[in-house]
Amino acid sequence: MTFVPITYKGGVYKHDIVTDLIDDLGGFIIQRHVIASDVVVQALVPQEDIELIREISRPLAGEVSESPLVGTEIAVVSPSLEIHHLPHSSCDIAEYLRRSGAKTNMVGLARGFGKRIANLSIEERNVINEHDCAVYLLGSFEACIEHKFPTLRRGITVPIILSGGPDTAALQKIIDPPVEGYVGNIGRVGHRMRKEGEINKLDELVDEISQVLTEVRKGIAKDPLSVSPARLMKVLDDTWGITEGSTHPTPITVQIDGLRVKLPYEEFAEKIGTTVIDEDVTVADVTEIRQSKMRNYILLKIKRFSDTAIMI
Amino acid sequence: MKAFEYFVIDCPEPAGAEMYRGIISDVLLDLDLIRIIGQFRVRIDPELPVFIAVGFTKKLPGLIRIGNFCNVLPKPDGSLLLDVGSESSLAAMLTVLWERFGRDNIDQPDRFTVVVHPHEPVTVDELSDIVVVDPSEGMYRDLIYGLQWAAPEGFKVRRQYHKDNRFYYVASEDTLPADVVETLVAEQFAAMEAEQ
Repeated sequence: MTFVPITYKGGVYKHDIVTDLIDDLGGFIIQRHVIASDVVVQALVPQEDIELIREISRPLAGEVSESPLVGTEIAVVSPSLEIHHLPHSSCDIAEYLRRSGAKTNMVGLARGFGKRIANLSIEERNVINEHDCAVYLLGSFEACIEHKFPTLRRGITVPIILSGGPDTAALQKIIDPPVEGYVGNIGRVGHRMRKEGEINKLDELVDEISQVLTEVRKGIAKDPLSVSPARLMKVLDDTWGITEGSTHPTPITVQIDGLRVKLPYEEFAEKIGTTVIDEDVTVADVTEIRQSKMRNYILLKIKRFSDTAIMI
Repeated sequence: MKAFEYFVIDCPEPAGAEMYRGIISDVLLDLDLIRIIGQFRVRIDPELPVFIAVGFTKKLPGLIRIGNFCNVLPKPDGSLLLDVGSESSLAAMLTVLWERFGRDNIDQPDRFTVVVHPHEPVTVDELSDIVVVDPSEGMYRDLIYGLQWAAPEGFKVRRQYHKDNRFYYVASEDTLPADVVETLVAEQFAAMEAEQ
C-alpha cells in the first residue's frame, strides 16, 4: 500500500468524520491542529483513497490537498538569529515549508555570519544531523558563500539544500563537492516574502526539497524500514497517550526514518523501548533509541529490514 | 514620499548589488529615513571585505523649543502657565520640565495646560527658550542603526561619523585603521561628486 501525504483544511464541526475515515482506511494522522473554528489535519493516507476522502469532506466544506513534506522534519539553518536574517527571509521560508506539511526547526547558528569568521559548532552539527534534511539560507554574494560554505557543511551527513542570493547556476558552480539541492535568488530580504516572484521562489524551494526527500525515500525503499514511522507513532501514542498529555504542537514528530518523542530521555527511554508493537516485537527490537541533542528528547531511528529481519 | 536625489550601489557582483538595493530601501523605508537622505552611495566589496556607505542628509527641521508650541503666561504667584497648542511634543516637554524643576513643581490640571512652580525666578523668555526636542539626535541614531541592519551581518568592526549634513558608515570583518577608513570614504565621496 502506497501512502500519500495530505493536508485536510476545514471547520471543526464534524471534522471527526474525516479523521475517523482516515483511521478506517488504514491511514495515519500525523498532526491535528485546531485554530479557533478551523482545523488542519496532516495525514498519510492510501493513494487510492484520496478521492474518497475528498468526496466525504466536500459537504463539510473541507479541502484536501497533497502536501509533499508531511512526515518530514527539516532544519532551516540561518547564519544567526539577528534582525539581518529574521523574520525575513528565514521565518518566511520556515513558515512556508510548514504549510507544505513539514515540521521545521529553525537552527540559528551562533557564529554562522561573516565570510572569514563563520563557524559551525559540534552541538549545532549534531542537532542538524538529527533532521531529514537541512535547508541552508545564506546571503547575497557568491564570494561569501563560496568561502564560508565548506565550513558550515563540515560534518553534516543529512542532505543539504542550499539557497542564497546568486542564481541556481551560480550556486552549482561555486559549491564543490556538490550538495543535493540548490535554489538561487533567495537571499536576504528586508520585507515579508509575499510578492508573486517571491512566492514562486518559495514554491521552487518546496519542489527542490520534495525531490531531494523522494531520492532519500527511494534509497530507503531498497532496504526498507522494519516499521513505518507513522505506524510506530500511532502505537506509542495509543499506548502512552503522549499527545493527550503534552502541550507541544507535535509531541511526536515523524521523520522519514524515525521519530522524535518529546519526553525526557532518562525517565521514558526504557518504557518506550519496552512498548509492544505487534505480538512479541517491541520498539527496542526495531529501533535505535538515542538521546536527542535537542533539549532532552528521545530520538528513535528505525532499523532496516536487513538488520532486524522483522517487517511489521 | 520623495526618493533619493542620488542613490548608487557599487559592487563587483551585480546580482548582489541589486539585492542590497532592495534591502537598503526596505530598511530606510521602515525607519522612515528616505525623506531625510538626499544623496547616498554604497560600496560593497565581499572580497576585501568592506561595506562603505556615504551620503548627505537633507536640511533638517530646527530645534523645537517650548515657545514654539506653547503660550507662556506669568501668574501673580510667580508660577508660569503653559497653554499647550500642540500635543506632539508634550511628553518630551514634561520630561524636560520634570528634570529641571522637579516633579513636585510641575502640575498638569488638564490635557492642554501645564503649570510650572519654579524654585528660582524664571522669566517667560527663559522658559520659552528651553529646547524640548532635537530632531537630529534620534535621526542619526536611527540612520546608523539602519545601516548596521542593512550591512552584512558578519561585518562587526565598524566606524561611523556624522557632522552637519555629512555622514559615513564603514564596516568590515577585519580591523579598520583610521587612515584606511579616511581613504576609502574620501574615494566614495569623490565618486559621488564625479557622478553627479
